[in-house]
Amino acid sequence: MRLLHSIAAGLQSLVRRKKTEQELDEELGAFLALAAEEKMKCGMSRKDSLRAVRLERGNLEVSKEIVRSVGWESFVATCWQDLLYAARALRKSPSFTFVAVLTLALGIGANTAIFSVVYGVLLQPLPYRDSAGLILLNETTPRVGTVSVSYPNFLDWRAENSQFSQMAAVSGVGFNLAGVNQPEVIRGQAVSPNFLSLLGVKPFLGRDFDPSEEKSGASPVLLLSYSLWQSHFGADPSALGRTIMLDGRGYSIVGVLPADFRWPEKVDVLEPIGVWAAQNSRDATEREARGDLVVLGRLAPVATFAQARSEMEGIASRLAKQYPGSNDQFGVALKPIRDAFVSEMRPAILALFGAVIFVLLIACANVANLLLVRGSGRTREIALRLALGATRKRIIRQMLTESFLLALVGGGIGLFLGFAGIRGMTDMIGADRLSGATIEIKGVVLLFAVGIVAMATFVFGLVPALRSTKTDVLANLKEGSAGAGSGALQNRLRGVFVVTELALSLILLTGAGLMMKSLHLLLAVSPGFQPDRVLRMEMDLRSAQYDKDPAVRNFWERVLNQVSPLPGVQSASVGTNPPMTDSHDRADITIEGMPLPKPGSFPHPDIHVISAGYFATMDIPLLNGRTFTQGDNENAPRVGIINARLAKEFFPNGDAVGKRFMLGRPSETEAPKWIEIVGVVGDTRLYGLTNPARFEIYAPFLQWPPNDVDLLVKTSVDPAAMTSAIRGAIASIDKDQPIFAVSTMNQLVSDSVSTRRFTLILLGLFSGLALVLAAIGIYGVISYSVAQRTRDIGIRIALGASRRDVLHDVLGLGLRLTVVGLIFGLIGALAVTRVLSSLLYGVHSTDALTFTSVSLVLIVVAVLASYLPARRAMRIDPIVALRYE
Amino acid sequence: MAEKSGEVVQGTLDMLILKTLALESMHGYGIAIRIEQVSKGVFKVNAGSLFVALQRLQRAGLIRSEWKDSENNRRAKYYSLTALGRKRLDSETRDWGKQVAAIARILEAS
Repeated sequence: MRLLHSIAAGLQSLVRRKKTEQELDEELGAFLALAAEEKMKCGMSRKDSLRAVRLERGNLEVSKEIVRSVGWESFVATCWQDLLYAARALRKSPSFTFVAVLTLALGIGANTAIFSVVYGVLLQPLPYRDSAGLILLNETTPRVGTVSVSYPNFLDWRAENSQFSQMAAVSGVGFNLAGVNQPEVIRGQAVSPNFLSLLGVKPFLGRDFDPSEEKSGASPVLLLSYSLWQSHFGADPSALGRTIMLDGRGYSIVGVLPADFRWPEKVDVLEPIGVWAAQNSRDATEREARGDLVVLGRLAPVATFAQARSEMEGIASRLAKQYPGSNDQFGVALKPIRDAFVSEMRPAILALFGAVIFVLLIACANVANLLLVRGSGRTREIALRLALGATRKRIIRQMLTESFLLALVGGGIGLFLGFAGIRGMTDMIGADRLSGATIEIKGVVLLFAVGIVAMATFVFGLVPALRSTKTDVLANLKEGSAGAGSGALQNRLRGVFVVTELALSLILLTGAGLMMKSLHLLLAVSPGFQPDRVLRMEMDLRSAQYDKDPAVRNFWERVLNQVSPLPGVQSASVGTNPPMTDSHDRADITIEGMPLPKPGSFPHPDIHVISAGYFATMDIPLLNGRTFTQGDNENAPRVGIINARLAKEFFPNGDAVGKRFMLGRPSETEAPKWIEIVGVVGDTRLYGLTNPARFEIYAPFLQWPPNDVDLLVKTSVDPAAMTSAIRGAIASIDKDQPIFAVSTMNQLVSDSVSTRRFTLILLGLFSGLALVLAAIGIYGVISYSVAQRTRDIGIRIALGASRRDVLHDVLGLGLRLTVVGLIFGLIGALAVTRVLSSLLYGVHSTDALTFTSVSLVLIVVAVLASYLPARRAMRIDPIVALRYE
Repeated sequence: MAEKSGEVVQGTLDMLILKTLALESMHGYGIAIRIEQVSKGVFKVNAGSLFVALQRLQRAGLIRSEWKDSENNRRAKYYSLTALGRKRLDSETRDWGKQVAAIARILEAS
């Protein structure tokens, strides 16, 4: 009630300022008049009595000021006044304002942009209920690392564990959807029926899966993604119950997923695992089959991550003993779902976030420096105001208002820069690396920007405000001693700011330098093949007409026959799992005559099934023996080609050609099907440039006809220009066969280093910005000290000091600051660059060469920045200087 | 501005104003004069502090004001006590009595 009263009265006096003011005048006037009349009754003259009243009752104007400042509204009013005053003051020194605002805008813009990435990727809640308790489980093997889970193992995990309240299997699936215009491939997941309820997600329309749909042979149903429902069914609710043809089979639509559903990226459809099991009976029943399946678990309410992990490890080692053939040496890996979704990006994003905070600090230090200069120019103004009775608090408040206005304008412009930056960054990161996270300026990001502005105000505003108001009033009012007393301290303070800037810049430069060296080393790594002008497109023959091997063989042969003669095509070939595509097939092999290891220790190479021209198209060198020919067909003896690493490991004498191996491990019931090694080829970097070569085996596609294949075309022209001609050729064979994952091999190579490149570009940008700001900072300090000492320098020159001495003297100041900044920067860099280690390649985070070169860069820039004012000092004309002031 | 002796004890001015207004509504000068007279000149009321106090009391809803003609035909703002103000005066008077008695006991004890 009271509060309401006060607010109402305050608002009233704010809005009707004039009237309030008038009433106050009138009331006080009446008071004065009445008092004076009293005196006059006693015989005083009017003038004397007015004077007496003033003495007795206090000055009227002062009284008014006191009365005015009672209500809260006076605070608002003075703030507004300060703001107007600040705006006027800033307008009067446009160059200061420009530099300060620009500096802040860059700092705040960079922060806003990076924070929106941090938020989108790392902080934004996943669209699942209580995602902290969601764990992703994989199997692990020392030979490969993290691998998919086999479905029978999942069933045992689920049955035996007690630490998870629920578990669900999630297996990636793809379908060919024969569309109206162009056939397309859609992606989805085959899931245990409790998948959605485990995540806490309810279908937008229709029903969730039923527990009965876990059994193999359940009738084909699916849930559509919201976007597929929009694009293919016009958002028509009657889509429920309709049938959609995937791979030539009818699926009945039972529901639509919510619009924000993702796993982790876009999911087109979900099908119950029972439907999947019927079509992938080997994957669903054989413990050795590890396709593309992960397990999702929700921790039981009392369970902890550590408990769950130790229990799961126990279960895995039991299973390894029980089923050594499939599980020997297989363990289990648990990851919180958030980590599983962003693992690759996290270190880069955090490093960049740290970097932009540095940039902002540098920007703030720079603006603080500018304000200090400004403050020392205003010493007399402030001293005068203090002398006239302004309180120190009042002046600090007003100076902070000025800082706030700077930060606000800088922040506003920064936000625009941030908008632009976000767009640039999402393009640079690439949608597939964002794991389905969306990056945009959201409320939280705006809030963050506001926070930064407020923080910046205090960081760069408070110290100068405190400094400038703590002056000796008398000394400063006297002519001629313009701030000389506080000058030394001020200069020291400004030196501290500059040293901070230099040190932070050096840390950023070191980070950028390390990234640059890694990327340079990385790009010099040969991928083992020649990616230039190679186009790659994937096809998966999934419909019933390709159930039989001859049909598959026939299809690929026709594709090669149609595409090879196209103008612009140098060579065309097909192959499974080409490098850098992340798709892979692996199997144990047994080399004839080798001592048999434990089941989990057999060589486990990556397998490619290829056409004869594959090595030519990819330019993978043949080291020994021969490549495949048309004669290596289904009727000929089985042949294979191995890579150099496999050859070196198992045939160290270089006699691999002619030896034999078989797929899988020896079995007592089946006679071994030997494959003769006819050639040895070079290694490729299958999983990206940073990952070392693995064992690889190549087999002719005529002997092992594959359904899911990449068509690889070496062109003599721009490969992207060939896409439509090749699409046309394939459509003429089967117009319903979708083509997907179209890209050039160069793109794949470049994508494999994209996180590093992205980090390098941004770090480079930030460190460049930091360097410029630091250079401005040191330039400012030196210029100022030269200006301050103009007279001293003039006298020295007049007394016979050489211009060289003056130059040395001024440069020496710059150099001293630089060296101190360098030392702190190097210490900081040693401590901080460790966070980059997971992004570095071939460079240690304390690489001496990088540290030396960035130090040199910093020294050169700093010396240049101090040289300009030093030269000015050198040219000071003693006569002019002495007349100065 | 140094404090003069004879300034009203800090925090008691509100109470004195309320007490003064309990008898009849009055304008600012009247209040000041009344306090001085009743206190036999011990307290002098400064215009600044008086009007600050009046504004504060009005904001708190303890007094209300209206413009009226004064005895010598001058327009003046007259203040009068609200019901809330009367209640506050009662409670403050009680508290004051207790405090004074307590202070007196402490001073006598030593």
